[in-house]
Amino acid sequence: MNGPEYIAPANLGDALRIKHERGAQARVIAGGTDLILRMRDKVLAPDLLIDLKNVSLDTISDSDNGIRLGACVTLSQILSEPVITGSYPALAGACREFAGPPIRNRGTLGGNLVNASPAADLVPPLLAYDANLVLASSSAVRELPLTGFFTGPGQTVMAPDEILTEVRLPSMPAPTASVFIKLGQRRSMAISIVNLAIRLTLDDASRVSAARIVLGAVAPTPIRAGASEALLTGQELSGELIALAAKKASRETSAITDVRASKEYREKMTRVLVRRALESIRDELQRSESSG
Amino acid sequence: MAEIDIRMTVNGSVQQLKAGAGRTLLSVLREEAGLTGTKDGCSSGDCGACVVILDGQPVNSCMVLAPQAEGSQITTVEGLAVDDELQPLQRAFAETWAFQCGFCTQGMLMSCHALLMSNLNPTREEILTAISGNLCRCTAYQGVVKAVEQAAAEMRSQDQNRHE
Repeated sequence: MNGPEYIAPANLGDALRIKHERGAQARVIAGGTDLILRMRDKVLAPDLLIDLKNVSLDTISDSDNGIRLGACVTLSQILSEPVITGSYPALAGACREFAGPPIRNRGTLGGNLVNASPAADLVPPLLAYDANLVLASSSAVRELPLTGFFTGPGQTVMAPDEILTEVRLPSMPAPTASVFIKLGQRRSMAISIVNLAIRLTLDDASRVSAARIVLGAVAPTPIRAGASEALLTGQELSGELIALAAKKASRETSAITDVRASKEYREKMTRVLVRRALESIRDELQRSESSG
Repeated sequence: MAEIDIRMTVNGSVQQLKAGAGRTLLSVLREEAGLTGTKDGCSSGDCGACVVILDGQPVNSCMVLAPQAEGSQITTVEGLAVDDELQPLQRAFAETWAFQCGFCTQGMLMSCHALLMSNLNPTREEILTAISGNLCRCTAYQGVVKAVEQAAAEMRSQDQNRHE
């Protein structure tokens, strides 16, 4: 078997230069938990692996108006970061239900994004928190919203010479509540049948000022249920409204039938899970209102 | 394919190995270093039979390429016993029947060993989380939980004796 060449550049500049020279035939490897599998199954046969292990992209830091996560931050690192468990609980929730500890110790935030799986668990929470991505190439650095990053299953807007270096999350205005829910065949190790993250921010009059309803594994890419979000915006949360929003969200899916579940089951479960998520957010916001 | 020189510390001794970049840590440990205690179950990071401890953290060795482990510290199941004497966790596995066929055992041991390195008083929930990446076809999970609780208790009392 002819395996790939391998290089572990000492810094990002070298990694970008090599990526520029070798283009799409070179694959970046971080945790490798997805790439190694696809190489073994011969879905991918890169000429060169560029290992980012010596490139310092593995820190989580505060910035002026939010936090910055290096693309090589592992899922375990995210889970043990108090800023995230405290202020971005839907992201922590997605990491908690991601595979098991040995995979979480290797798998990275950036890998989950660039592999562009429709069922990627970290994408719904990141979209719900209005994440931005930083893409670098040897000639430029650009920051773009995660919305619009995916163009199809396994497809993104990244150029062959670009490397994802950072994910930026803005700080969330109070009062905000968010939740991640995953439906799989078992709690650990399962690929999602449906996953979703919802984030609601309220205004002074307890009306929804920002709504993000993000659904995964029910369309070619994770999607925002825009009509459902619009229905909630400007309103006070009531049981009736929640039921209506959940119904609307399930109509915004374009699920398929695959080995994990049927299209119909996914649609039904989307409605159930959106309702549960909104109810739990409403309860949390009410609790914080009465205690604050 | 050019072979790459890989240097890593396995169970305390430095290993100088050569392997193609596409080789996994698992295959290098088994075939080059001769450490066959680590098992190849699913080869896809689902079953946990290949778990080893890499720089202090349990990982699936089938999901790590050998050159990625260059320069790292690795503990395999062969590195648990001290001077051929089983450690509390290993004894507890035997005493509580934490296995039947034994194929998953080394991976279970490594996940549980990693847990006990950082937490000598784990709750049942923490133990279940720690082994959530390990499958046991014989469903000896209850035995594993019991074994970890027993080993943790023994290690706590050893700790205490040392401090007195």
